[in-house]
Amino acid sequence: MRTIEVGTAVSDEAGRVRGKLDIGALPDGTPVEIPVEIVRGAEDGPVLWLHGCVHGNEYCGTYIIHELMRSLKPEALKGTVVALPVLNLTAFLKNQRMSPFEQFGGGDLNRCFPGRADGSVTEQIAHAIYTPLKKYATHLVDFHTAFTPDTRWMLYSAPGGEVSDKAETMARAFGYRDTLPSPPDLLVGSAITTAAQDGIPTLIVEAGGIGPAFEMSTVEDAGGRLQNVMRALGMLEGEVTEYGPFNYFTTFAWCCATTAGLFERTVSCGDTVTKGQTIGRYYDLYGKPNGEATAPESGVVLAIHAGALMARGETLIHIGLNPREA
Amino acid sequence: MSLQDIKIGDAETMGPGVATGRLKLADYPDGSPMATPVIIVTGEKPGKTLWLHGCVHGNEYCGTFIIHELLRSLDPAELSGRVVALPALNITAFNKNQRLSPFEGYGGGDMNRCFPGVEGGPLTSQFAFAVYTEMKKHADLFVDFHTAMTPDVNWALYAAYGGETGKVSRVLAKAWGYRDTLATPTDMLVGSAFMTAASDGIPSMIVEAGGKGPAFTRETVEDGAERLRNVMRAAGLLDGDVTDYGPIADFDRFEWVSAPRGGLFQPMVKCGDSIEVGTRLGRFYDIYGDDDGFAESPRKGIVLAIHPGPIMTNGETLVHIGLNPKENIL
Repeated sequence: MRTIEVGTAVSDEAGRVRGKLDIGALPDGTPVEIPVEIVRGAEDGPVLWLHGCVHGNEYCGTYIIHELMRSLKPEALKGTVVALPVLNLTAFLKNQRMSPFEQFGGGDLNRCFPGRADGSVTEQIAHAIYTPLKKYATHLVDFHTAFTPDTRWMLYSAPGGEVSDKAETMARAFGYRDTLPSPPDLLVGSAITTAAQDGIPTLIVEAGGIGPAFEMSTVEDAGGRLQNVMRALGMLEGEVTEYGPFNYFTTFAWCCATTAGLFERTVSCGDTVTKGQTIGRYYDLYGKPNGEATAPESGVVLAIHAGALMARGETLIHIGLNPREA
Repeated sequence: MSLQDIKIGDAETMGPGVATGRLKLADYPDGSPMATPVIIVTGEKPGKTLWLHGCVHGNEYCGTFIIHELLRSLDPAELSGRVVALPALNITAFNKNQRLSPFEGYGGGDMNRCFPGVEGGPLTSQFAFAVYTEMKKHADLFVDFHTAMTPDVNWALYAAYGGETGKVSRVLAKAWGYRDTLATPTDMLVGSAFMTAASDGIPSMIVEAGGKGPAFTRETVEDGAERLRNVMRAAGLLDGDVTDYGPIADFDRFEWVSAPRGGLFQPMVKCGDSIEVGTRLGRFYDIYGDDDGFAESPRKGIVLAIHPGPIMTNGETLVHIGLNPKENIL
């Protein structure tokens, strides 16, 4: 059995090991160490790599990974699960998206993969994580959130060929309806696109909203769906639940607000919108209605601004385009 | 006999109707003004002036929305008296979605501890001074809107001063009608707008409705606006029967309990729940997701606010408990 070593977590037999991976250092010399857990079955099989909080305040993913890891028993597992539930630790601690130690940009960890050993704070974090990921992972699931608790969609890497097919199998087993087969020129520098280039099939799950804006029912449901992915990969015994039908998008549109003000959304994630349809209402500081926000494209709502305030240029809505049933 | 015209900042009334403008609180370094919005609705009939604040803590937007909801419903022809609303008081914090002004330097940044303010004081004291100078001049009654952490927050405080001020403050709180209401003793929340105003003889209350940032619902906003209309009916600013929402608790104190430890955290109680000493308030997990014990209540009382999770640092507000209700409200 091949040894899997991620930081101080060293797995060379069936069972559960834990440790820390060094991804940086604070000015006073304290290392920034992120938690690693490896659960390994007696029989060799896929190495499923899970990570959460690549964006520090997307806690729902951490909870989903924890939910799954608590449910795993090495004796019932074929292969290995490597879990890093809190990637961007300094951002996680500060309840913010990017590391508070990042200075000159490049702070979005999910645009920094594969990273650089001598790069910026965030590029060094990416490098520390991607090195063992590339070495060991046969599959990757990366957890994200958007703004509101009702967020529920996914992206799988679609560079073509076998990697696409395997990634699609994972996506269909996770089973959220709204799904983007993500082309290789989209989200360059993300863990999913980078790993897919290296031949690792990958999936992003977008579940729940930032900070505390998620439900424990979402966590429990996603934990169950992740077990279904593992059944589909042959890592757990049992019948694979068939979800569907799916909405496959060709791409998405991130639409920024061109008006500022108080804002209330009038659509939910998963709603179908047509170009020009009202998606929210603006008010000025005096409480006077100040026009409506309308959908700049037709498609399905993947994410919508939570309100209560909007600055010009904030992400107003994220729309999946050209849905086709699959 | 009609109401005299007034001017607050550049909001200037001209008889009955709606006047809007900005009250300058301070200057930005580039010379542009930090100016907070002011709306004045003047009724056709004489009566009291109700003064409203929202977002004294910058990210407590539910109050802004409740005030706006009320203002949109007012008709000067049906109003006896005047409403003066400053719905986005701590405007620089409001813009940044944070509690305190990002321009405050050396502390004293909690605006609701800075009243009546200091003319040449630190930034936030200057904000308070600019606001309170006008408020003291014009206000007969005062309602201040706040939020706590989660959407289910619903409690109130009134200034339990002796005499007429305390009596009328309780009338406002009773008309608002949240069950969980604190009769705030005079030594509590010193420097808050509502206790400062009450010390100057202005009957005052605080409403705590919804959670910070976007953590509130439209239902709470609409319900809040209707309760505010009920306060106005009770105070004679609007005609109509005053709704009786039931008894209020008259807590004599509250306790802010700080977290004695950190971890991942999920709450197990809701606002309004009765708790005993030892009641489990929430569950901790460690960074690997293992169960790591429970947070327990150090007091018997009612949950006024609870930490929403999902992460907790030592010293964060774990729970806010209303103590010693005068009436057996449950």
